[in-house]
Amino acid sequence: MRNAGEILMRVTGLVKRYGAVCAVDAISFVVPRASVFTILGPNGAGKTTTLEMLEGIREPDGGEIEVFGAKLKRVTRGVRERMGVLLQDGNFEPYLRVRETVALFASFFRRALPVDDVLSSLSLEDKKRAAVRTLSGGQRQRLAVAVALVNDPELIFLDEPTTGLDPQARRNMWSIVTDLKRRGKTIILTTHYMEEAEALSDHVCIMDQGRIIAEGSPRELASGLGQETIIEFVASRLRPADLEELGHCGKAARVDGERVTLNTDDLVRTMEALLAWSKERGIPLANMTVRQPNLEDVFLSLTGRRLRE
Amino acid sequence: MRAFRQLFLAELRIFVRDKLTLFLAFLFPVMFILVFGFVMGGRGGAAWSANLGAVVAAGPDSKALNDVLSSTTSIRVSRFRDQASLEVVLAKRGVDLGLVWNGTTLLFLYDPSRVQENYAFEQVASGISTDFTLRRQGLAPLFSVEKVHVGKKAATNWFNVVVPGILAFTILSAGLFSVSGHLTAMKERKILDRLAVTPMPPTALLAAVVCVRLLSVYVGTLVTLFLSVAVFKLSFDINWPRYTIFVAASTVGMMGFGTLITLVVRRPSSAGNLSTILMLVMMFLSGVYFPIELLPSVLRAVSRVFPLTYMTEGMRYVTGVADMSALRFWVVTATFVAMAVVLFPLLARYVVSADRH
Amino acid sequence: MRGVLWIARAHIMTALREKGTLFWFIIFPVFLLVLLALMFGRIGNVGEMNFDLGLVNLDTASSTATVDFAAIVERAFEELGKRPALLKEPLFTLHRPSSGDDAEAFLKGEENMLRLGRRAAVVVIPKGFSEQVRAHAMPSSFSGSTATPASPAGETILVYYTKGSDASELASSIVEQVLARVNQEVLAQAGLFRSQETVPVETRFIGGKEIRYVDFLLPGVILMGFFTNGLFGVPGAILFSRDRRILKSYWVTPLSVGRYLAGFSLGHLALCLLQFILLALLGRFAFGARVSFAQPIPVLYLLLGALTFMAFGFLIAAVVRTANAGMALANLLNLPMMFLSGLFFQVGGLPSFLKVVVYANPVSYLAEGLRTSLGIGTGQFSETLTFAVPLAWIAVCVLIASRRLSWDVVR
Repeated sequence: MRNAGEILMRVTGLVKRYGAVCAVDAISFVVPRASVFTILGPNGAGKTTTLEMLEGIREPDGGEIEVFGAKLKRVTRGVRERMGVLLQDGNFEPYLRVRETVALFASFFRRALPVDDVLSSLSLEDKKRAAVRTLSGGQRQRLAVAVALVNDPELIFLDEPTTGLDPQARRNMWSIVTDLKRRGKTIILTTHYMEEAEALSDHVCIMDQGRIIAEGSPRELASGLGQETIIEFVASRLRPADLEELGHCGKAARVDGERVTLNTDDLVRTMEALLAWSKERGIPLANMTVRQPNLEDVFLSLTGRRLRE
Repeated sequence: MRAFRQLFLAELRIFVRDKLTLFLAFLFPVMFILVFGFVMGGRGGAAWSANLGAVVAAGPDSKALNDVLSSTTSIRVSRFRDQASLEVVLAKRGVDLGLVWNGTTLLFLYDPSRVQENYAFEQVASGISTDFTLRRQGLAPLFSVEKVHVGKKAATNWFNVVVPGILAFTILSAGLFSVSGHLTAMKERKILDRLAVTPMPPTALLAAVVCVRLLSVYVGTLVTLFLSVAVFKLSFDINWPRYTIFVAASTVGMMGFGTLITLVVRRPSSAGNLSTILMLVMMFLSGVYFPIELLPSVLRAVSRVFPLTYMTEGMRYVTGVADMSALRFWVVTATFVAMAVVLFPLLARYVVSADRH
Repeated sequence: MRGVLWIARAHIMTALREKGTLFWFIIFPVFLLVLLALMFGRIGNVGEMNFDLGLVNLDTASSTATVDFAAIVERAFEELGKRPALLKEPLFTLHRPSSGDDAEAFLKGEENMLRLGRRAAVVVIPKGFSEQVRAHAMPSSFSGSTATPASPAGETILVYYTKGSDASELASSIVEQVLARVNQEVLAQAGLFRSQETVPVETRFIGGKEIRYVDFLLPGVILMGFFTNGLFGVPGAILFSRDRRILKSYWVTPLSVGRYLAGFSLGHLALCLLQFILLALLGRFAFGARVSFAQPIPVLYLLLGALTFMAFGFLIAAVVRTANAGMALANLLNLPMMFLSGLFFQVGGLPSFLKVVVYANPVSYLAEGLRTSLGIGTGQFSETLTFAVPLAWIAVCVLIASRRLSWDVVR
């Protein structure tokens, strides 16, 4: 029985350069078995580049990759037999049927699960005979997951698995991921959706401009911001002076269009000050929410930018 | 008007920058001429002037036979020692047919793989044997036959006649594919839809595409003519006003025809495929390379329906290669213009219609 | 191995389901077969050609007591203006002046029609023709000499035609033959021509037998089918799969490039086989082709052909960047390679710069090799050459393609 704390993948100083630009700048992390490891970052952070190097379809310029306990110069066939990959921009033959596609990929592996089982585990039995080109976005993504799982892999790469999906499809994908983890699979996932990282991950790496700027469990990361509370509301026609006043109400204030965000360590005092300010200035506090900090806030505090531009 | 001007310039730029299309538009017809002209040139040109290999055994009638051979105008004779060596050269296509006279029988030899030309050589053979039969008996024909050329001076050789046909063909393909290729590609890439939501009138885009296409076709035909004259030493007697009118009319007419195809066959790639097949059929059956009179009657009737048949006739007329009654010319020209006029509104609607697949 | 077979299957199923591919590799060759067979199948045969012929007899004054040579000539053409059988056409559609017309004016009109391309030729029997022929015929018949008299103007039948026009040239040539036969007949009637002493004429085809056009055509169309399949289908499929990142999905699995290519090739050959079966059946049952492919050497040539064109397709995929460029290049190469090869039309009288293309073109060798092995004519290339050149092409294509073909989208 495999030790649940066993390291499945270790990455040390991984580098990828394109000319003068360093797309991946010496990153290192470890991925324990039976966990969900997420790389969170905005578009262009280097997430997909990193993953493609780990999947063996892009050549690293430096660093070391150790997977399944062995150091790799390049991803061998033996490793591929134990891996499943969902590409960010992969595609399937449009004129093949769903079942045919899964069967095709199954034939590439020495060991594969029964095709129909894989299809039903992803609720694709009804679409067995449908041509790939007739599938909706969500169905296509489920097919891609089916293909990634057809060889019952130990290590699964999911590159932006829910981008472009509607909320329902996204929830479906999340439950698939948690189910996989429950079955002892190890998942490396990339996303730019904060909720996804929070909902699914055991461990999160926040990546920006080729570097890992923070890592830990979602809770650890969020609590890294201390006992902060976030107050958000909508207000229009604010003057610069208003912003300064608001800043004095709490730790920091920020305006994004009409949306105001206040960080505070002392919720009660800030609320009092805020309500007083509102009454005095005559500016209503619309759509107010009070919440705990999330990964988006972490990112913002680290980089000054939002995850989603 | 400003919209039109901008679109025209944009379309022109696109056309000029797309090196591939440019190359295809101008060099393709030339390549066509080369390939088809020379390959099928053997059909028209050489078939009426055959290379004959002869083995004539000495004897009482050999003089008569040799007289026949030297007086038959449609052959070039080369002599062989024996039948075996003649057959070798015949197989290598050094000669077109062989003649062996052994004193009693006149034997004609053919290469069976020249299925498409042997019927013409058989005519030659038939003439020789008839002539020989007479002369052997010391007879001369009671009357002679003289062929008199009637027709335009420019039509001096077969190649002259082919080039206008090729011009017609390139006009056809440019017209067809500008719609069933270019516009449908724009539609597929949603460019047309994006333009449709702007205040720009669709007629402006259409006019721009048409004008660029007219310009490119016209210039293309001129390049081809120039090359024909420069490289192949052909000569034409071009009636420039009618040439310009006819090229313009047939271009827009063929764009209209292309519209018809696109409206019938919805998917862009299918429209392109259908156009290609039609063009190929027309190329064979419209008298460009191959005389219509030699086709079986069914195909001859089909050829009368094809626009290319009339375009070829018109182009031959305006380049001074063949004649055409003025009435017929103007009727054909007007028909093409009418096709365009009738079908362009449909094309305009197509340009703005929502993509239905 | 299973992966290879599944890739082959995927290639085949995609081709069969995709309308565009279906068009090119089935409809197009079938179509060409039908068109060419119809066009050239019965060319030159009686009942298939028809020419508009103007016939003007200006020699109207003749006494019934003597032989009316002009009328004999006219009758010869009349015969040919009659329908030979129910569904056949007569050789000539005659245009003659009606009995009240001014013959000279009619002739002017006919000349004009000829100029306008509405007539293939115009036959003019000049005034005083019969008289002159009679006068000419008499002296030599009784002198029995073998002198060959000159031909004075009055006995020349004029054939107006348009030089350079295929139809006119052929029609006038046929008219010459008709008139030659009339000559003979007249001489026979005059008792001068001893028809029993006609020169016996034999017609023979080298190699033994005459070849029917459809037997000549069918191997060519089959090779052409393989050719377009390789030229368009292969780069199209590969480049499309690569550019759409379908191949990328394969490379993250244990499937190697080698196995992918093996599967692709297998699928491609299966499609060629399908093409072959379809065309061979059509050729045999619709057009009566008798050529039989069920022999080892022809099969070898067919296989070689399929492989050569597939390798060529790989080459194209290797040298272009996008699928569109690949299709454009294929279109450009299509015509020259197909027609400068003797595949359909003879390539006898070509200038040398085009002959080079013919000699470099693998299609020329394959076409000839295949036809020769099927017993359809002989050729100019030695058998070794017909194998060696395509094999050399395969080697070159594979070499270049394996170096230059990138399996990732050009980033």
